[in-house]
Amino acid sequence: MSHESMTILLAEDDDGHAQLIERNLKRAGFVNRVVRARDGQETLDIVRTGREGLPPSSQFLLLLDINMPRIDGVEVLRQLKADPRTARIPVIMLTTTDDPREVERCYQYGCSVYITKPVRYEDFVEALTRLGMFLEIVKLPSAPNGDRPTP
Amino acid sequence: MRIPPERLAEILDVAEDGIVTVDSQHQIVLFNRGATKIFGYDPAEVLGKSLDVLIPLASRGVHRGHVEQFARGPVVSRTMGERRTVTGRRKDGTEFPVEITISKLIVEGEILLTAIIRDAEDRKKYEDALLRLNQDLEERVRARTAELAERNLQLTQKTEENEMFVYSVSHDLRSPLVNLEGFSEELRIVVRDLQRLLQDERIPGDLREQLDALFAGGVRESIDFIRTAVGRLSRIIDALLRLSRAGRVVYQTQVLNVGAIARRVVDAMRKTADEKKVEVMIGELPPAWGDPTAVEQVFANLIGNALNYLDTSRPGRVEVGALPDGSPSGSHTYFVRDNGIGIPEAYQSKLFRALQRLHPDKAPGEGIGLAIVRRVLERLGGTIRVESVVGEGTTFYFTLPAGSQ
Repeated sequence: MSHESMTILLAEDDDGHAQLIERNLKRAGFVNRVVRARDGQETLDIVRTGREGLPPSSQFLLLLDINMPRIDGVEVLRQLKADPRTARIPVIMLTTTDDPREVERCYQYGCSVYITKPVRYEDFVEALTRLGMFLEIVKLPSAPNGDRPTP
Repeated sequence: MRIPPERLAEILDVAEDGIVTVDSQHQIVLFNRGATKIFGYDPAEVLGKSLDVLIPLASRGVHRGHVEQFARGPVVSRTMGERRTVTGRRKDGTEFPVEITISKLIVEGEILLTAIIRDAEDRKKYEDALLRLNQDLEERVRARTAELAERNLQLTQKTEENEMFVYSVSHDLRSPLVNLEGFSEELRIVVRDLQRLLQDERIPGDLREQLDALFAGGVRESIDFIRTAVGRLSRIIDALLRLSRAGRVVYQTQVLNVGAIARRVVDAMRKTADEKKVEVMIGELPPAWGDPTAVEQVFANLIGNALNYLDTSRPGRVEVGALPDGSPSGSHTYFVRDNGIGIPEAYQSKLFRALQRLHPDKAPGEGIGLAIVRRVLERLGGTIRVESVVGEGTTFYFTLPAGSQ
């Protein structure tokens, strides 16, 4: 599978969070198409049956927010990992807290990486490195927006 | 002096206890004044009568059997009713408990049995009253204990509800805060890029200066204030989340090597201690019963505080130890002692409350550490207290249930 053709599926109900994540994805050098889902059900629908305008057999990298209406992120993760057809989709969980129980629950269900918001571009770089996808998916920015200090 | 033999009978007669003597036919041959008081009979009414008049109808047969057995037996005197209550019958027919000792004497070939009788009704009354009082007391203690247990349960539930509330509020606050943090950072970046663009030669000098002043003085400064406030808000919310988590995380209780835990904490802080030239000593620490992570958190907070609030005018000393009390109540008392700046007495009562800071300039933090320590110890069945003198130092004492050896 070529990571270049991979679609980033951003499951996030908060518009502000979604926009911040997209901006930081760009800063991190992502050139991939980003598709947004606004809740857990929409996320599952897109993964299972696709969406208009997307190639039918799209490969996804899922950025999955935990707190979403209808079906929350942990349940989406559980359903995806329980189904052999979707179990191999790489999932990066996004959350507003680092509650150890929540982290543990996600790892139990098979999430690969866990990022606490607000998401900084360095977090994405690290998450992708851990997924083993960094070199293939990212066009290393020559000067990643200058000298961003770490907060 | 010697009592003349003829007056011995008078001594018997005036005795307060009832004295009744019967012959081998169970006929009453002696009935003193004490017996009259007890049974209500004049001697004339019962002398020559069968002993049965003094005994309730129902127990006459049994009583006669006992008396005859005693008369034939080798024992000279004994107390009746050692294993049961003996009942007497008054002239008016009322029955009452008696204490009786019985003795035998053979006079001119005839066995005489003498009973010394005491009305046990009052004693019985007191005993019964005492028994009732005891039962009453026990009942009240039971009721009060149940009430306290109920109150305790309610308080625990209340605390858990509060923690749940704090947790969900803090959790919900995080989401808008992420936007504040994220977009104020975006603003900072945009302003920086705008300021770079201002360096473009095509922009007239005077306009550039005006714009530069606006960005630097107005926009950047405002953004910096927002970012500082957001950062503080974020740290407070995180502190509250940590506190509520301390109350809700599930414990894995076990016997703890407290010494090893304390050493681990001190080793992790070794660099800080060395930099500040603090001498840290760890004494003998007996095993406790608790959750290892929670107890480590307690030591980390207390030792961390000791290292943070040093008095720079003298070499720092931190001592970790345990009181040599054995364990009278099944618990051990540990302490963390420093020779730091100390805590004014007026402040000591607020020490364990959340978001209280005494020396905000000395170390960063939100004033949550000691509140967490208290909550953790409370959950482990321990307590904590502080002794401190300003300018001399502070000792925190805390207890933990003793771990079996």
